[in-house]
Amino acid sequence: MQGFSDGITGADLAQLQSTMHTIEVACTSIQMQINPTAAEATILSLSQSPQRYKACQFILENSQMANARFQAAAAIQDAAIREWGFLSTEDRISLISFCLCFVMQRASSPEGYVQAKVSSVAAQLMKRGWLDFTAAEKEMFFYQVNQALLGAHGVDVQFIGVNFLESLVSEFSPSTSSAMGLPREFHEQCRTSLELNYLKTFYRWARDAALSVTNKIIESDAAIPEVKVCTAALRLMLQILNWEFRHDTNSMKAGINVFSAGVRRPECVLVQPGPAWCDVLISSGHVGWLLSLYAALRQKFCHEGYWLDCPIAVSARKLIVQFCSLTGTIFPSDNGKMLENHLLQLLSGILQWIEPPDAVSKAIEEGKSESEMHDGCRALLSIATVTTPFVFDQLLKAIRPFGTLTLLSTLMCEVVKVLMTNNTDEETWSWEARDILLDTWTILLVPLDGNGGDAFLPREGKQAAANLFAMIIESELKVASASVANDDGDSDYLQASISAMDGRLISYALIARGAIDVTIPLLTRLFSERFERLHQGRGIIDPTETLEELYSLLLITGHVLADEGDGETPLVPSAIQTHFVDIIEADKHPVVVLSGSIIRFAEQSMDPEVRATVFSPRLMEAVIWFLARWSHTYLMPFEEAANCHLSHDYEHQHQSIHSRKSLLSFFGEHNQGKIVLNIIVHISMMTLMSYPGEKDLQGLTCHHLLHTLVRRKNICYQLVSLDSWHDLANAFTNEKSLFLLSSANQRSLAQTLVLSASGLRNSEASNQYVQGLMVHMTTYLVELSNKKDLKSVAQQPDIIMSVSCLLERLRGAASAAGPRTQRAIYEIGISIMNPVLLLLEVYKHESAVIYLLLKFIVEWVDGQISYLEAQETASVIDFCMRLLQLYSSHNIGKISISLSSTLISEAKTEKYKDLRALLQLLSSLCSKDLVDFSSDSDEVAGTNIAQVVFFGLHIVTPLISLELLKYPKLCHDYFFLLSHILEVYPETLPQLNSEAFAHILGTLDFGLHHQDLEVVNMCLGALKALASYHYRETCAGKTGLGSHAAGQGNLPEGIFSQFLRSLLQLLLFEDYSPDLVSAAADALLPLILCEQELYQRLGNELIERQANSTLKSRLANALHSLTSSNHLSSTLDRVNYQRFRKNLNSFLMEVRGFLRTM
Amino acid sequence: MSDEEHHFESSDAGASKTYPQQAGTIRKNGYIVIKNRPCKVVEVSTSKTGKHGHAKCHFVGIDIFTAKKLEDIVPSSHNCDVPHVNRTDYQLIDISEDGFLSLLTESGDTKDDLRLPTDENLVKQIKDGFAEGKDLVVSVMSAMGEEQICALKDIGPK
Repeated sequence: MQGFSDGITGADLAQLQSTMHTIEVACTSIQMQINPTAAEATILSLSQSPQRYKACQFILENSQMANARFQAAAAIQDAAIREWGFLSTEDRISLISFCLCFVMQRASSPEGYVQAKVSSVAAQLMKRGWLDFTAAEKEMFFYQVNQALLGAHGVDVQFIGVNFLESLVSEFSPSTSSAMGLPREFHEQCRTSLELNYLKTFYRWARDAALSVTNKIIESDAAIPEVKVCTAALRLMLQILNWEFRHDTNSMKAGINVFSAGVRRPECVLVQPGPAWCDVLISSGHVGWLLSLYAALRQKFCHEGYWLDCPIAVSARKLIVQFCSLTGTIFPSDNGKMLENHLLQLLSGILQWIEPPDAVSKAIEEGKSESEMHDGCRALLSIATVTTPFVFDQLLKAIRPFGTLTLLSTLMCEVVKVLMTNNTDEETWSWEARDILLDTWTILLVPLDGNGGDAFLPREGKQAAANLFAMIIESELKVASASVANDDGDSDYLQASISAMDGRLISYALIARGAIDVTIPLLTRLFSERFERLHQGRGIIDPTETLEELYSLLLITGHVLADEGDGETPLVPSAIQTHFVDIIEADKHPVVVLSGSIIRFAEQSMDPEVRATVFSPRLMEAVIWFLARWSHTYLMPFEEAANCHLSHDYEHQHQSIHSRKSLLSFFGEHNQGKIVLNIIVHISMMTLMSYPGEKDLQGLTCHHLLHTLVRRKNICYQLVSLDSWHDLANAFTNEKSLFLLSSANQRSLAQTLVLSASGLRNSEASNQYVQGLMVHMTTYLVELSNKKDLKSVAQQPDIIMSVSCLLERLRGAASAAGPRTQRAIYEIGISIMNPVLLLLEVYKHESAVIYLLLKFIVEWVDGQISYLEAQETASVIDFCMRLLQLYSSHNIGKISISLSSTLISEAKTEKYKDLRALLQLLSSLCSKDLVDFSSDSDEVAGTNIAQVVFFGLHIVTPLISLELLKYPKLCHDYFFLLSHILEVYPETLPQLNSEAFAHILGTLDFGLHHQDLEVVNMCLGALKALASYHYRETCAGKTGLGSHAAGQGNLPEGIFSQFLRSLLQLLLFEDYSPDLVSAAADALLPLILCEQELYQRLGNELIERQANSTLKSRLANALHSLTSSNHLSSTLDRVNYQRFRKNLNSFLMEVRGFLRTM
Repeated sequence: MSDEEHHFESSDAGASKTYPQQAGTIRKNGYIVIKNRPCKVVEVSTSKTGKHGHAKCHFVGIDIFTAKKLEDIVPSSHNCDVPHVNRTDYQLIDISEDGFLSLLTESGDTKDDLRLPTDENLVKQIKDGFAEGKDLVVSVMSAMGEEQICALKDIGPK
């Protein structure tokens, strides 16, 4: 090895000095921005130079320039990681010890970043060799580190030692480790080994290092060098406690333990190191030391060198907060006694940071740093994650006359008050504090079990929640009315404001439900005050402020009363189900009262005069949103839901069932439900017709409210019997104003109306209903296409608009096709097949219309294909092929000419969207082979789908230029389809003519070298399918891909030879993600089997090219074991694929390092 | 605004040059008249006039002839003018020295009054294609009394 300590001859020295000089010059020129590219190249070449280690070490030890030393360290790292495989053990060890000695010896060097770099190089190399080094070898390094940490060589060395351990731990932690080109298993093994064998030792060393300097720090009034060591040690401890502990042996059991509610909120970091850590972290009085250290620091904040945000204080606070998250089996099963003591100890230390809340917030407003307060809030958050609400509340009672919940409530009220007084858009300290505290409430109140049972608060906690909710509402209303004044024109949209506020609204709802019997009446009162105000002030005072307040109230109330559902039908929140037990009459139920008052208010919007003065589009949006959310939960709930029993409190059960039943049935089918439904339909129709051009409002009505209604079958039953629903359907076909809805709303409305057909008695009625809805569209399109002057008429803007509108509606209807309405929708499509082709012709220059046409066909085919009988399938396929050919004939070879680059790129985008639609069409056709509901299952008359799709692809591919494949979605769709058909129908491939065949394989080759991982994966999948198909067929004595595989005409090599070459080239010499290796192995194995001779030849060539004899033999061995180790056989079964994956992985690890560099 | 103003008959086509259409229904990739120029809409956004006011549409259009960018803000419920954009395909017979194109209509007549565009690049595209001896079909876009070539299509060798 080119160890430095070996004797250096004079010539060597001169050589080294000149290298050092070159590097120093390069570093300077980078700093001065003189020819930086060349300088970078010079620096990079350092790690490739023949005497790299020697030169780097020389530079590190002799250069006066910190930057050059930094680069030398980086070069060592680079070279050593690359060449690790063929460095001897002594070389490896000497490199690491060189780095370690280097940092220790220069511990007091002022260039911290060089030291940190060398430290991290040592750490990385240590990890690289971790699985190879013997225990004694590791021990040797760690002895040195331990000595440093003990402080035997002074404070600087102590600091360096801690620093090295920090680098080491972060190198071993999965999220911060460097990949080093090694597989995941390697990192995983290192991680486990460190966690089980070293981590606790490191923690102890860090603690001892900190302890050794504590007294000095506490006793001294000024900042002393020891502070640096202590800070670093605290940081290391924090880092270790942040480790994602996996080997807590009893963690399965801990899952059941209430006190380690690890399932509650995965985004909260929980520290679960397991029982082995109890002695270090808990029983040794460690926390007491930490708290007293911080308390001592607090005293010093007035002194020079210390302040609230000085590094040591920050680190100490962070560590204290981290201790609050400690949970799991580290605590013995003693009913949580030890955990409670631990938390109480922490809490009493933390109290000083946040108590009394009013004084703290006043001090911050006057300029004190907020970080202590924030950390206090974070500590409460952490405590909340590891306890139940009950335990959480009890903690404080040991030392205060009130519970922790009360403290939490007062603290947050104080924060909300500050927010209210200085209402700005800037993120202030109170914003952050509010968010942390809201998270705390959320964690405490979010249902513990998956069944939706809310967490119950102790009585005092309820009061705290009620106070807080009142304060929150007051503040939100104030913010709302104030926002009217500083309106800057760009007001936020409902969806945006909900999603921005959503996290907060959910937490507000949880708090409100924590004291539901107080908060519902409060909301009712607030609403009625505002209704009253509007009523009295009509025409006299500007209602805007009140409108904005109502807007906020509607959003909050919507969240309190009902849950989102996420695609399922949400139940009435259990807090509402289980409270209000003493309510006998349903119409006095507070929830009924509140809902009723809002619905009655909404109903007033039907009056044109009131609408004009009160129901602004924005308020109406909130009303529609509320109605949608509310009706999803309360309108005609399932009977079973009403009867479901929760066994919370047995004695109350009878009474509470009664009250729950009365609430649920109040808006049921047999009670007020139908009336309310009727009102909702009327309101919806009104927003669609009386708010012209209000896209957002109408969008909410269509996508949110109406969709919510038709999603539930029992509501559909009622809907189709309502006159108002028939009015809506009538308006849809006849009313001009509904043709003015925006395209997405148009589509959605058509879909909704068709979906509601599921409420009709049988499929005959449903089909008839759908036909009635749609007939106006088909008639119009048929008549239009029969016009003699179609060509000129069609280009009129009003005709374009009507056609677009009808196509949107047809698309919406097609997407709603279900088993019951399939016939009607099929016939609609069939009846306009010819018009569609005619329109495709006349609108060939009107890309917007063409796209709608294609989307309709895609949607229609997708909904129909699986139901069609053989005859019908044939005609649909025939139609699709005509469509494809027509589209292609219009577009192939067409060039758009425009002065505007924007318009040119728009034209490209439009083309891309069209092609995507066409690919989707082909994919839908493909699905016929997978899902088929038709009655005639015999394949006699059946169409060969594979051929059809290949043919379609043949039409479409010439339109797809490599330029267009840059659109990632199109690229994905294309390769998805291509790999799908190659995988499923490899036997069809030989039937293609050679041009089509070459095109498909050309794109496959293009895809193999694509940057997108997914695309490469799909191509590899296709390759695997093709090669394995061919191999199996030829083994069975058939021809497989026949002449294509053998090579013909102008292609002397068969396709498999080409792909074998290019895949090997890729694997050995190019850059790719390690995640691809498995897929590549699956493709490579059958390729090798198909082309064994060529593979042998390529392997030999590769070996011959290698000049260095050691490397030559290594390569030969590696190639040999690639195909022979692990009992690899020449069959293509699962086991064999698996073996080959392993072989390829170790092969690449063995040879890629030197193949790529030398 | 009254619809009458915009419904004037053009002498040649016998159809209106523009049609009124509600602003809220005009979408991206459609056409709109801004400052009396026919434009293709490349961007539509909606906002509200004041917090509780009505929606308005903000259009960004590109003049289909001059490629200039134009913008307009219209209340969603009001009408906008939409130009009648016509496109006709002709076979290219010749390019004369003085910059006029000689085109063959579907009915077999010739049309000789269309000038080459002024932009060098566009002219080059057309001339190159023609010089290569390809059979070219040109699409001519006309709106509000102006016309211009908007696309070329190669339909095979001559």
